[in-house]
Amino acid sequence: MGTFDAIGIAGSGMTVYQTWINAISDNLANVNTVRSTSEEAFRARYVVASSVEYGTPAGTQVSSIELGDAEGRLVYEPDNPLADTEGYVRYPDIDMTSQMTHLIMAQRGYQANAAVVDRAKETYQAALQIGRS
Amino acid sequence: MFDSVSFVAMNSALDGLSLRQRTIADNVANIQTPGFLAGKVTFEDALRSAVNDGTGAATGTTTRSLAPTREDGNNVDLETETLLNIETNLRYQVATQAVSGHFSSLRTAMKSS
Repeated sequence: MGTFDAIGIAGSGMTVYQTWINAISDNLANVNTVRSTSEEAFRARYVVASSVEYGTPAGTQVSSIELGDAEGRLVYEPDNPLADTEGYVRYPDIDMTSQMTHLIMAQRGYQANAAVVDRAKETYQAALQIGRS
Repeated sequence: MFDSVSFVAMNSALDGLSLRQRTIADNVANIQTPGFLAGKVTFEDALRSAVNDGTGAATGTTTRSLAPTREDGNNVDLETETLLNIETNLRYQVATQAVSGHFSSLRTAMKSS
């Protein structure tokens, strides 16, 4: 049990949500990334969180990054330099709506953890005042 | 002087509240972790009976919440945790003031004579 654990635990939550926000930005940045049909499409990144089980309570962590569909969707763009002989290119199959929804969830999660850091800081400051007259 | 029931009880209260604060931080950090059950800290009843027994020493115990879970198997409720966090923070400050008051009485006693 560390001295300022609550700040570290909330910090672990902020790290996970920050990773999630980074993954969503990556997905949105690549929403129109075109590849030729011989390559796999840009695969969306999905962050998987799990609670830390050694010592309780210990916070949360990113346990893995799952990758989305490599198939993507084929779009007929014969003028595109990457187009195959039939005129098709491969776009990633990223759902913009669900990415934006996840972005809001991640942002709110980050804010909730930041609020916990604030309150933990107040508590520890109170503890540091013990014995001061 | 430093092992009186009231002083030990105040220490136990600070420890219990601090554990609760950490558990709240853990719950909020895991608010979207699939399968995570919220932790709950209880120490007040143990502390009350410890004070009645004349020791004042009590430790908090953490249990997992049995509240219904969402579809991802998680049952952390942000509103509950936020309110409990504010309450715990204020109670911690009250307890630190009580400990400070105890120390300032001791200081007064040491000065006189």
